[in-house]
Amino acid sequence: MVQTLDVTAIARDLAAAVGAAHCITDPSELHTYESDGLAGMRVRPLVVVLPETTEQVAAAVRVARKYGLPIVPRGSGTGLSGGALPVTDCVLVVLSRMKKILAVDLENRRMRVQPGVINLDVTKAIAPHGYYYAPDPSSQSVCSIGGNIAENSGGAHCLKYGFTVNHVVAATVVLADGEIVRIGENAVDPLGYDLIAAVVGSEGMVGIVTEAVVRILRVPELTRTFFATFPSTDEAGACVSAIVAAGIVPAAVEMMDALAIEAIVKSTGVDWPLDVGAALLMDVDGTRAEVEHTASAAVQIARDAGAIEVRMPKDAAERLLMWKGRKSAFAAMGRISPNYYVQDGVIPRSEISAVLREIAAAGTAQGLRVANVFHAGDGNLHPLVLYDARVPGEEHRAEIVAGEILTICIQHGGSITGEHGVGIDKAKYMGKLFSDDDLESMNYVRCAFDPQRSFNPGKVFPTPRLCGDIPGHYHAHASELAGTAGRG
Amino acid sequence: MTVATVRGIAATTTATPSDLDAAQRTMTEAAAAHATVAFVGGGTELGFGYAPSRVDVLLDTTKLDRIVEYQPADMVVEVECGVTLAALQAHLAPHGQRLALDVPLPERATLGGLVATNAFGPRRTRFGSMRDLIVGVSFLRADGARVRGGGKVVKNVAGFDLPKLAVGSLGSLGMIATVTLRLHPLPEATCALRVAARSADDVAALTHACFARQLEPAALVALRDPAGSYAVDALFEGFASGAREQADRFIEIARDADLTCTDIDASDVSTNDERVRTSGDVRVRIAMPPADLARAEHDAIAPIATVLADAQTIVYPALGIAFVSGHSPQNPTIVDALLGARRAVEARGGNLVVLHCDDPLVAGDVDVYGALPPAFALMRGLKERFDPAGRLNPGRFLGKL
Repeated sequence: MVQTLDVTAIARDLAAAVGAAHCITDPSELHTYESDGLAGMRVRPLVVVLPETTEQVAAAVRVARKYGLPIVPRGSGTGLSGGALPVTDCVLVVLSRMKKILAVDLENRRMRVQPGVINLDVTKAIAPHGYYYAPDPSSQSVCSIGGNIAENSGGAHCLKYGFTVNHVVAATVVLADGEIVRIGENAVDPLGYDLIAAVVGSEGMVGIVTEAVVRILRVPELTRTFFATFPSTDEAGACVSAIVAAGIVPAAVEMMDALAIEAIVKSTGVDWPLDVGAALLMDVDGTRAEVEHTASAAVQIARDAGAIEVRMPKDAAERLLMWKGRKSAFAAMGRISPNYYVQDGVIPRSEISAVLREIAAAGTAQGLRVANVFHAGDGNLHPLVLYDARVPGEEHRAEIVAGEILTICIQHGGSITGEHGVGIDKAKYMGKLFSDDDLESMNYVRCAFDPQRSFNPGKVFPTPRLCGDIPGHYHAHASELAGTAGRG
Repeated sequence: MTVATVRGIAATTTATPSDLDAAQRTMTEAAAAHATVAFVGGGTELGFGYAPSRVDVLLDTTKLDRIVEYQPADMVVEVECGVTLAALQAHLAPHGQRLALDVPLPERATLGGLVATNAFGPRRTRFGSMRDLIVGVSFLRADGARVRGGGKVVKNVAGFDLPKLAVGSLGSLGMIATVTLRLHPLPEATCALRVAARSADDVAALTHACFARQLEPAALVALRDPAGSYAVDALFEGFASGAREQADRFIEIARDADLTCTDIDASDVSTNDERVRTSGDVRVRIAMPPADLARAEHDAIAPIATVLADAQTIVYPALGIAFVSGHSPQNPTIVDALLGARRAVEARGGNLVVLHCDDPLVAGDVDVYGALPPAFALMRGLKERFDPAGRLNPGRFLGKL
């Protein structure tokens, strides 16, 4: 930046916007916010604000605008792609104090919540009535609805129930000029373009969601879970394909390979066997007779596919323990490796076996092990590249393997991210997945919301993109001239 | 079929490209000539939207009818925009799969048009609309560039969601070229039942009971008769034992409510839906929060149905949608009824859209869409980015964009 920022004046104005107690400028306190779940990258924000209302968010955005400062929204900070990583001299808007459940409307199966509400708390609030919120990322006990909206989060059960974008019906959004706008309706099919789809998954680049109306679902009558072990991921993958070919749509199918099983057993104490090559954890849910049929059919298919053992939990507690094992898999890696790199890629389901072999080979070529724990039903891989940062060069080799994994996914017709987002981490791969024209079209969406690229600049797009002029409608803003231009 | 007009506006020329390269040439040439372009597939929804201000080129997509890629094991298919829904289903059925979309006129309706109108039928109850089934799109931009978003995997969050932006865009952002869709297995069994409901309150109570008892109908629709009673049709799909068990429990629900329940043919459900949605010279769609059905019956559905001749109504009670159609009385009572109904549903966060109207009186006095949404400025911004010269279906979309 050319000019010097008047931090004192900025802090004074932001304190007026959100209250002095919720405006952080002290370097030691700012330290907490230097990174999100992508812990390897750190950038210190200029100021952190923790607003409590939509109006405070709008006021903070107007202050940032006045000084030409970029704005980065942040929820719980659990994202794994650096979506909430601050950018230089930014105002980091942390939504974690906006955690009120504003309304529960069981009749219409809707809930209105603030963005800082924790994903699992949505379900907890309605569970006594027999309802739940479907998207269930593995981090659901800590991640926020606002972050889920930014990333279009999925989870194990999105195979049957869809992603965040299928479960948000309306939102209140603060735009870059501080305007507060409501998008979507409580009724289905709001008029005009699908702005909900533009906001959900926008990775903090179009505005700040300060309220959301989400769909809630009736809890299925019956859920059957089983856990099956196999000699290798080949048989487990064939089992998944056979289940799908039989016309069964499971609620979730998760696969873990031998390394992942070892880590989970060491970390959580579940009594899973260690002498197997792979395991599947599967839910089928729905009405009673339908589930009884599909569950027994799936178990038979697993046996036919070469399952070593098939276990069914004897009660809800044991079922919960099985799922806890699966959901703690990332953290469990610490038990078998000092460091690990979490990757997120997608492939067509039919390519699972071939891709897993290529990934293992990519690891071996760099002398590294790769553990796999993933959503097999929709081909969403989570390879965990294990390394030891104390060994010179190993971290770099892990990054090489992680990058090759994405290349493999692209070569097999897949995607570079199924649920963790592009953020800063994968921006450089976007150009391998999409053409320049594709990216330009995506940038149109961003520019329609935020023509001066104030929100989360430098994320998602591989190279800085300007918004360009619209004849007769575009006026350069003072703040653009003051320093944010070209950050995009 | 050849359609030379859009909403009464005659096209100067018609182009029927035989492949996507030819379509791209048409788009590029139109851009160079500053020509306006409108699109037509099967022509089943041409009555929707405002009349375009000008149509220099009418691009007929019906020859763009290739199935681009189909991997049954992945349950995903990519098709060109001109493939009809019936042709696609025929292609998928031998593999035990389907697109879980049961719209009217499947023999004519093309996938491109179904995307452009966010189409759906009774099975939206369980499977959602086109918005929930699309995973990838490629389209020809106003400048002729062919771009794509999404992909061929169901789970994918790389970049902005261009597929869903194309959904419901009515040809105003580009020519939808190919569409990639998520598929579902064909059910082993389908049970279809009809309950004679006395009123909209009964319909609401039955719907509520289905949720309370955790039933999962593939479709739940209610056909209104002129007296305000309803025939509630339910489809239960799945494996034989599962579909039967759900049907038996639905019969119990009806019995508990003292309503009679009979078996019907599953195809009746689509047939009724199609008849309501393709009849009459005035057709409207009402969207409302689902729990407002009884109120909407009173202040929106009944007032319109009473005024129209041969009025027909089908309600999707679990979703909060009603289609009403019939013949205009050719006098101001229909205008008053429509505007009154619109005020009532808009006040509750819903909308009333005129899907088709051959009566000049109604067309003159009742706007297609009603009140513009608060975020309309953002929509205008999107249109201006994708189509800066306003050449694609100019004036046809919401706000005459």
